[in-house]
Amino acid sequence: MLKIFYGDMKEAIYNTAAYFKYDYEDEWITEPFVKEMIKDVDQSIVLENGVIDSPVLGKIPPLGLSGGVKTLILVAFEKDKIFNASTCGDNCAKWLLKIAENEDRTINLRHLMRFGPEPFTIHILNTDQIVHSTEELVSIAGEFV
Amino acid sequence: MRGKHRVIVSTKRLKYEFELRRNLTIIQGNSATGKTTLVDMIRDFVNNPSGTPVELICDKECYVLEGTLWKQQLSVISDCIVFIDEGNEFIRTVDFADTIQKTDNYYVIITRESLPSLPYSVEEIYGIRTSGRYGTLKQSYHEFYRIYGANTYENPIVPEIVVTEDSNSGNQFFEQVCRENQLDCESMNGKSNIFHCLNNHKNKKVLVIADGAAFGSEIDRVLQLLQERKNAALYLPESFEWMILNAGILKNSRIREILEDPSEYVESKDYFSWERFFTAVLIEQTKDTYLAYAKRKLNPAYLSVSVKKSILEQMNKIQLTGMDR
Repeated sequence: MLKIFYGDMKEAIYNTAAYFKYDYEDEWITEPFVKEMIKDVDQSIVLENGVIDSPVLGKIPPLGLSGGVKTLILVAFEKDKIFNASTCGDNCAKWLLKIAENEDRTINLRHLMRFGPEPFTIHILNTDQIVHSTEELVSIAGEFV
Repeated sequence: MRGKHRVIVSTKRLKYEFELRRNLTIIQGNSATGKTTLVDMIRDFVNNPSGTPVELICDKECYVLEGTLWKQQLSVISDCIVFIDEGNEFIRTVDFADTIQKTDNYYVIITRESLPSLPYSVEEIYGIRTSGRYGTLKQSYHEFYRIYGANTYENPIVPEIVVTEDSNSGNQFFEQVCRENQLDCESMNGKSNIFHCLNNHKNKKVLVIADGAAFGSEIDRVLQLLQERKNAALYLPESFEWMILNAGILKNSRIREILEDPSEYVESKDYFSWERFFTAVLIEQTKDTYLAYAKRKLNPAYLSVSVKKSILEQMNKIQLTGMDR
């Protein structure tokens, strides 16, 4: 389940791009679901050797990925760390839900990310409540951002 | 600094073009739209004066502010445009707000977080979109788009409660109008309490009146809350003082000129937000007249039938029942 703490959180890693720079592993980038995330969010293709083909920037290394995708990759692979996912746009929301579908993940949000109109399950840690819709989420989480 | 400033940053592959109108501009939106790339390009241009493939065209110098030495860096930057990428925690501090308030720079800040210490306008929150190729086929063109339009939240409602953000003259004005129409009027003692108030009045018809010039930090969560509600409206003039100036009560061509293009008149070092500027203009323009304006206590002249009517006529789509309008 996706667990979210809204607002300031001391133990959360704020600058996810800086963390990714010295933490990512080449094998992460070529995992099928990471390739899919990169294609969906960055509209870029991961080539066999881990180089990424971006329609805008040309051939780029993993460090050239968007801040949102870098954070998604960290959330996926660094299971015990908590990251500031406000570095992710709304186009990353479905991937956060997907990553936390079968395994718990805790993230920190400092804004109200839009998780879309479909029902979802999110545990709001600030109030220890589980919500299933945007309407429920906004009225609770909005008090903390 | 004052005025509008066009910034064009380009390489062989990318071109960004946008115009800044106020001292504080926020960029947010989806991932992978090129926000960080924009800042990277500006940083590369600035840090490599002997040669870089990045071209930057602007009538002001541009800089990137980052890291723990931000304050020292800022102390030598004046009359410039300062870009700050996400990941810089200092943007949330009161120290940062206090420091930039005393500078004459314009700031472009990339963040999705709300920054309540900074009085940024709902109109100066942008996303970046790619609008196709430009020049050579290889170059993609990026421009800013406004995320929150000026009048999109004015549902046509007849409210039961009017909520204002503070207890100054604006609140006193609307309190009187509400009293005359048997409506409740609540002052929130600060814009950050508006969300909580709306959350608590889910089943009532609420009209929120706040200063659009400084409501940027609240707009996202308030709009998301109101999205499902048809019984609430948000009226966001630049400020109450702007409503008075715009009402045509003061027959003064100078005021009309200012309102047509405030950017050209608001000196960023003197006025952290346009709300403060409009207050200063109103005080100055009404000094020693029967309409002499004071921020803390409303001059009763603003409650006379004709003046009141002129001010309220600007609130399109919103009816305060039974009013003589």
